[in-house]
Parts: sequence; structure tokens; C-alpha cells
Amino acid sequence: MEVKKRNKVSAVFLYVSLLAFILYVVYTLHINKEVLYTAHDRSEFIFGAPFFHTLLSKPFGLMQYVGAWLTQLFYHPALGASALVANWTLMFLVGAKAFRLKGNASALMLLPIACLLTSIIDLGYWIYIFTIRGYWFSQSLGYLAMLLLLWAARCTPRKWHLAWYLLGFCFYPLLGWFALLFVLCLVLTEKPTWRELIGLVLLVITAGIWRALLYSNQNPDDVMMAGIPRFVTPVDSNGRLSIPFWVLGAVSVLIALYSWFMSKREATQIKLMWFIPVLSAIVGIVFISSLMFRNQNYIDEMRMIRHAEADNWQEVVHMAEVNKQPTRTMVMLKNIALMNEGGLLDRSFKLGNPGVDIYNPDSLHIGLLNIASPLVYYNYGKMNYAIRLCYENAVATGFSPFYMKMLSRCACATGEKKLAKRYNTLLHHNMFYGNWQPTPITKTVSELQNSFTDELNGVENNSERFIIDSFSHSTDTVSKTASEQALFYSMIRCDSGSFWAALRKYVKMNPDAKFPLHAQEAYIMYMDKSPEEKPIMLPVEQAVYDRYKKFWETLESFVKRGLKPEEISAKMRNQWKDTYWYYNIFGRKAI
Amino acid sequence: MKRHIRPYFLFQAAVSLLLSSCAHHPDVPASSREAKCLPAIFPDYCDVTVPCNIAPLNFMLPADQYEECVARLTTPDGRQQTYGEGVKVQIPESEWHAMLDVSKGKNIKVEVWGKATNGQAKSGNEEKGGWMSFNPFEIHVAEQPIDEYLSYRLIEPSYIVYDYMEIAQRNLTSFEETQVFNNKVSCDDPKGQCINCHSYQNYKTDNMLFHARVTRGGTIIVNDGKVSKVDLKRDNTISAGVYPAWHPAAKLVTFSTNLTHQVFHTAHPNKVEVFDTASDLILYDVAKDSVSIISNDPDLLEVFPSWSPDGKYLYYCKSVPLPEEMRDKDIRTTYPKVQYNLYRRSFEISSQSFGEEELVYDAASADKSVTLPRISPDGHYLLFAEGRYGCFHIWHHDADIVCIPMDQYTGDALTAETSSPIDLTLFNSEGHSDSYPTWSSNGHWIMCASRRDDDNFSRVYFAYFNNGKVEKAFLLPQEDPEMHVTLLKSYNRPEFMVEPVKISAGEFARVF
Repeated sequence: MEVKKRNKVSAVFLYVSLLAFILYVVYTLHINKEVLYTAHDRSEFIFGAPFFHTLLSKPFGLMQYVGAWLTQLFYHPALGASALVANWTLMFLVGAKAFRLKGNASALMLLPIACLLTSIIDLGYWIYIFTIRGYWFSQSLGYLAMLLLLWAARCTPRKWHLAWYLLGFCFYPLLGWFALLFVLCLVLTEKPTWRELIGLVLLVITAGIWRALLYSNQNPDDVMMAGIPRFVTPVDSNGRLSIPFWVLGAVSVLIALYSWFMSKREATQIKLMWFIPVLSAIVGIVFISSLMFRNQNYIDEMRMIRHAEADNWQEVVHMAEVNKQPTRTMVMLKNIALMNEGGLLDRSFKLGNPGVDIYNPDSLHIGLLNIASPLVYYNYGKMNYAIRLCYENAVATGFSPFYMKMLSRCACATGEKKLAKRYNTLLHHNMFYGNWQPTPITKTVSELQNSFTDELNGVENNSERFIIDSFSHSTDTVSKTASEQALFYSMIRCDSGSFWAALRKYVKMNPDAKFPLHAQEAYIMYMDKSPEEKPIMLPVEQAVYDRYKKFWETLESFVKRGLKPEEISAKMRNQWKDTYWYYNIFGRKAI
Repeated sequence: MKRHIRPYFLFQAAVSLLLSSCAHHPDVPASSREAKCLPAIFPDYCDVTVPCNIAPLNFMLPADQYEECVARLTTPDGRQQTYGEGVKVQIPESEWHAMLDVSKGKNIKVEVWGKATNGQAKSGNEEKGGWMSFNPFEIHVAEQPIDEYLSYRLIEPSYIVYDYMEIAQRNLTSFEETQVFNNKVSCDDPKGQCINCHSYQNYKTDNMLFHARVTRGGTIIVNDGKVSKVDLKRDNTISAGVYPAWHPAAKLVTFSTNLTHQVFHTAHPNKVEVFDTASDLILYDVAKDSVSIISNDPDLLEVFPSWSPDGKYLYYCKSVPLPEEMRDKDIRTTYPKVQYNLYRRSFEISSQSFGEEELVYDAASADKSVTLPRISPDGHYLLFAEGRYGCFHIWHHDADIVCIPMDQYTGDALTAETSSPIDLTLFNSEGHSDSYPTWSSNGHWIMCASRRDDDNFSRVYFAYFNNGKVEKAFLLPQEDPEMHVTLLKSYNRPEFMVEPVKISAGEFARVF
């Protein structure tokens, strides 16, 4: 009676723990849905033999190929997340069988799931620069395959295990490090004999043999560490992101040892280990939450890019209105949105122009260039640069839908119809892009595209600086939109010389237009602080002028009180942050 | 040298064999409407002349307009066979080669039927859905074979960043492609490695070379099958060796040495300009590992060396002096004025000495710039790429291949007017870059890297050359004709070989 009662309590612990863990997983996936969409948008899957053969020429390549194919599902984040959860559910069930985890002990399988979930939500800005194909699913698939092998092996008599060790060796090209993990787990779940010794020897020599047999044209490290994701670019590297995989391996080994140890214990003793589910769920949740990359701007930036890709500028402006501390990429997209929606020179500084740095604990070399530069260049009509940046990024990270779509739009804009058709054909082979067609170039973009004369430029790694400089210097234009941009970016540069030239051109190009608010603010300020010899005389609103006087009175009063610039900035922020003056004095940053 | 067994490729070959043995031979549509035009097949193999040993000319109809394609091939002996699955026509290698064997010097007749996609309105002759029959065309099979192998670098048409790149070799009589070397196998630095400029002596591979740059850089030289890495940068040279040319008889290699830069157009369709701010010519003696200067005019740029097949002349390109008023200007201003003419120097192999410089072809007089000269194996013709300016024509839309008979050259510089160029209308593309011309070893096939398909990805085109007459160019055949769409890499520096490179990538990697 007592045992029955204990069993019931024990089962309650198991189910409650499972439920808590499942809810946390669903919640985590939900709050990362924008990350999942971006995962598909920045992941390469190209229909056809070249991509297939390229991946298959490497160990673990098949898993990567299947993983890359499945990543397309994240076009609908819920669908992709469901596929992942289905994989993990199978992992849980198969793992319990493979490791012979009975009753509450089956909850140990939550730990590998926690590792795999962590591995997809801890990336942060690596999502834009990492080069591992099929990353999002391949590890889960590989681990599931490993468990299936283990389950099958343990269903056979022990004398057959030698054959399974050999099979693990044979599976190395397909499963990479998971084939080794399979052999190790199988060795550890049994009492050591000469067979297990052979298994261990195989474990050590497998990669080397396969390198000699099949992969002599591959880098030794890529063969020896086949399937273990490594986060390396020419300028960045990160060992932290590999932690979930090392932990996954370690947890699997511990579960295998536990399985071997518990196989000798009484069944009743096993069932009474009520704390295992609770502990597994807690450890899993803590592990996930402690390594998850959490930053609202990171998510908002992704959402903004998604809207900008769809030319949904209204939503981009709306997001800019809501977000009070936008990143530089968000500021750039907001200004493009205002260019398209109208009101750039009336609203931009109200919504804020000094962008904050991205949350970058790994000190990655990342910025607008990697995050959204082709999109920005395209919308500013600089097609050659958009194309170039697509290639520079795609060569390293893959020709993902984001770059394919941009390349197609650029090819349409430059009249390269055959090239656009190639990109479209490739995109149409992707699961959710069967009917995709590039949005026709808008009048605004077309006008900007035709407003620049050709120049030769060198290597520009700072897209933001390049855009600001090139626009603020392009006052020799016959385009209204370009003249607005020239005026705006001369204000962003806080350069009175280019401001006066740009203002003169703007007024000439827009003779009947209302003098925009921020332009008035800049005009008053530069008339006051940097007057030209032959200034252009324009009427300004009295209210703007009065506010300017008040701004300086306030500023001077703080200066007289001996406050430091940052203290003055903080004190004036609430009242004046919507003005160009505040940006000019306190807001601008070295870019 | 023993090659590594490549189980993966063997597996692929086995699968291909299995698939080819199950080739689909569909019935010709019972009824169809006449389209009264040639089929819009890709690649365009209508009325081309092909080598008698070329791989199957597989092709397809546009998938966005057709859902099925059937082709019936009729050989001169009257035998017929049909092919087609979906919109693709893929002919088993064995059946194709049997057809070529009986068609040498004659024609294979090709009839094509296409079933239009429902709802896709086509030309005036086509209706929605239903089978269309197109005008038949012929594939002329030349008596002369093409060199069995072709090698090229596969690389994205990238700007600055590069990642994976490989030098690959393709058997032109089949679809087998294997890797010569890649830039990852010996590179342990995240900065990566660039590999380029593969070059062979006399179309053979026992003496060959390629360069590796950045990580563990150097020139990889194969000397009678032995691999070594050398550093060609010497105290008296401006750089390591760049564009190579093996002497046809001696263990000598001419290189240009270049200080190369690239800049980017903000709006021009050419997108990229690659130029040299300095370039000279050097001679490398493989046996002695010694470098001597051939030409190093401090004011002018010498580049693209190329030997005559008898080894008695070294051809190369050299820039013409800029107008006085432009000499101190920035290259970004002067680049459209940099033009190259074609020169040569005689060479005495016993003393390894060069004669005086002769101007062979004055391209600048016609406001053009010549690059990449290649003399035909019989010495009678000269191929080169020509654009309006500069030396990197693969980015220049106006670049074309030019062929001139060398018997026109009697010591006075030839010009566009006096050179009597061969008509290459069927070889060149209009308004698209055609560059890097080459001769096959028997002189009957010419080849170039062309961006005619989309102005972005270079593809290899061949054409039949016979007694100064050139036939229509055709695209390198692929097992899956759609591969030319799905491969997002360019074929860079295509070179004919009469035999494969026998050294594996792993063996090359050992010298790093």
C-alpha cells in the first residue's frame, strides 16, 4: 500500500516536471519566434546537385543537408518549432528505451533536449555571421539517429555488439561525432569485455581512418570534429556556443553510466527516485535560461528587418515609435521608412537618431554591414553596393533566402532579367517561395538609383559611415528624394558646410514645399552658430525660434552650474530629445 | 602516382550507371501542334558542332513554361531513340557515345516536343497546355575530338570575401568532375587561403603549378610529378609570380608580377574594376629555383605572358603610356585610359635570352585593350580577349574574343584594320563579357569563359575551329542541365588538359 502510494506521488512528480519543462520549452520557442524566422531567412538551402554534393563531400554532411532542408520550415516559426519539438519528443521516447530509463529516470532525457534547445537560442548576433549549414536541425537529427542506433543495438544480444561498434565506425560519414557518441554510450552501458575494448579502440581511430579513406581533401580538424559546431569567422571565434554540445555529450555519457549502474538495482528502488524529474526539469530550465541570448533590441531588429524586407514601412515606423533605445540598424531602417512614408525631416529626430550599440557580450565584429546592409543599400538606390554586400556576406554565410531575395530585387532594379530569373528559379525550389516574385522597384528607390553618377570606391567596411558621407556630399542632384536625403544626412553629420549646400539644393528642388520642422531647427542653429557669408534667407516658425532660444537658455544655465556634459544631457533629455539641437549637441556619436 | 580511391565518387558513378541503365525512353506525342520555331532549350545546342567524344548534350525546356519534354534523336544510320523526363532530356553516356561514333563527320537530327504548362500562354503558335512540336535541329559531329580534360577554379563571382574555393577537373567525355585542390585542406587559419592560376605545360599535368595566397602561401609546382612549394617573391621583384605560362619544352615558367587592386563602381553595370598599379615579367627556372627579370619598365605595365607553341616567342600585353596630363592622376580617374597592346620577344632557349620587343597588335589605336593572348598549336592563329580598356575583362560587358591569322604579321604591328580578324560572331556574345580564350591541343576547339547567360556567373563555352572558320559556341554539357542555374559559382580560368592531374588534394596539402 505504502509503495503504491509512493509510486503515485512519484508519477505526479514526473508528470508535473515534464509539464513544467514542456511549458518552458514552448514559452522559450515562442519568445524566440523572430529568431526562428531569421534562422530560415539567413540559412542556405539551395536546390540542386551542387549544394547537395558540397555537403555530402564532408562527414556529417547528410545531416546538415537534411537540417538545411528542414530549416525552411522556420518560414512559419510555429511549424519549424513543431518539427523541432516532434524531434525532441521522439528523442525523449527513444532515449528512454535506448538507455533503459524506467519510470522517473526517463526524465533524464530532458537534459539532452535542454542542450539542444539552448544551442539554438544562445546564438545572439552569431545568427548573422556563422557559417554552419543546417545548424538548426542537424544536431537534433544526429542525436535522434544516435539514440535510434543505441536502442537497436541494445535490443540485440551482447555478442552482436561488436558488429554495432563496427556499424558505428561505418556511420561516421553520416553521423560524425554522434557515431562516436553512439559507440561510447554502447560501450558504457555494458559490463566491459574485450568487445568493449575494441569499441573504444575503434572510437579513437575512426576519424583518422575515414580521413585517410574518404576525406583526404578535407581539413583534418573538419574530419576529426565532424558535426561538432565550431563558431569561427576570420575575425571572431567563440567557444561558449559549443558548450551545449560538449554538455550534450557529457550528459549522454552520464546517462549511459547511470543506465549501467541502475540496471543492477531493484525496480522499486528506481521508481522511488522522485527527485530525478524535478531535478532534471530544474537543471534543464536553468541551463536554458542562463545561456539564452535575451535582448529586446535583438528581437525588434529582426522584426524590423522582416517588415522592411516586405516594404511594410508603416510597421517599421510604428516599431520605431515604440522602441525608445533603437540600435543603429533600427535607426537606419526607421529613416528609410520615413523616406517612404513621408516626413523624414519632420519626424526623424523626434523618433530619435542616435542609435545605441547592439548588445554584444562576445564583442563580435558585427554591425549594419552584416545585419541589414544590402537591404539598406537597395532602398537607398545603391544597387551595386547592395549586390556587392549580398555577395560578400553570402559567400561566407550562404545564399540564404534573405540574400537571394535581395539579389533578385537588385537584378530587377538594374535590368538584369536573366540574373533575376536565376535567383527566382532557385528561390522557387524552396518550400515556401514557390510563388515568390520580387516586389517591383518603387518610384522612390528608382529615383534615388538614377540620381547618382557612377564613382569608383574602395573597400568600405562601415556601411553606416559610407551612406552618411555619400548622401551628405551628393548635393549635385536633380532628384527631390536625393536632395531630401542630402539635407538629412548633412544634419546627421552635423556639418554646417554640407548643410548649407544641401539646404540650398533642397529649397531649389522643393520650391513649394513646407520648410520641414527639423530643417528649420538646423537652419536656426547654423544661422546662429555657423552662419554663411551669403546665407539663404528662409522664414521659420516663431514657435520653433522661441523654442531654440529656450533650449540655449536651459543649456547655458546648466553649464553655468558647472554640470558635466553627460549630466546636462540627462537633465535635458526628456524635454529636448525630440529636437535636432539635442541630437547635434548630445546625440551624435562617432560612427 | 597512385590516386586515392574516392568511394564517394565511385558510389556516385554506380548510382549514375544504375540510373542510366534505367533511362526513360518516352513515346513521341501522338498529336501535337507545330510551333514553327526552334525549341527554347537550355543550353542552346541547336545546330552546334561538337567534338566526336563530348559528353551527352543534355538539355531542358524552361520549367516555368513547360511541364514535359520529349526529344527524338536520329543518327545518320537511321536509328532513333527518344529521351525526356519532366522538362529535361538526359541521355545515357553509353547511348550518346554510340550515337557520336556513327555520326562522326555527319549530323544527329534532334526533334523536340514540349508540353506547355496549363495556363501558360506562349508565343502566338502555342496554346494553353498540350504538346508542341518544334522545328528540328541538327547537332553536327566533328571528326576531331576535344581534349579529354578541362580544369577550372570554381569560385563565387565575389568581390573581396572568399570562402571555399576549389580547382576542379572535368572529364569532357563524361560528367566526372574531381577535385585537384581546395583552399581548406591545408589551411588552419580563419583568415583562409586563396588558390588560383593553375597552369600546365603542354596540356599535360606532370609539370604544372598553381598559387596559394594568404595562409601558408606560395606557388605549388609539380616538376615531373614531384610537388614542391616555392616562394617566387624575390628582392628584385614587385610581387610573387602571378599569371603563369609554362615554356612548351623547357622547365621554365614565365610569370607576370603584379600589384593588383580592385575598386567598385557605385552605379556602372561593370560593377568592379580590377587593375594593376605595377606589373613586370619574370622568368622562373624550375630546376634552379632562380628568377630573372624579363621586362620591368617602371612606367608601363607588362602582363599575361604566353609562349608560342614552338617556344621561340614570348607574347605578352603591355600598357600604352597615359597622356601626359593624366600621368599623375589617381587610377580611379585614369583607369578608362589604361589600354594594353600585344607584344612579343624572341627567345633563345640555349642561352635563355630574349630578343627585342616587337609590337604585334596595336589595340590602342582602335581604342581597345588586349589581354590573354594564346597562339594556336599550329602557330597560325592568335586568340585574345579585347575590351575597351583595362586588363580584367571578365567584368567588362563589352569584352569579346578576337582571333587573327598570324600570317598577317610580317613585322609591322597589326591593327584592327590590318589584321583581317576571323569572324567570331558565332562564338562571342553581344554585350556580355567573353574572356580567357584557349585552344585545345589539336587546335580544333576554342574555349572561353563567358558571362553571356546572366552577366554574373562565368560559364565555359566551346566552339569548333577549322581552317579559320568558327562554328556556333556551345555550353559545357552537364549531367543535369539545370546545374548551370543551381551552381552559384563561376568557372574561372578554364584550361584544357590531355590527361587528369594525378596528384590528390591530400598529397598537395603535404607541401604546406
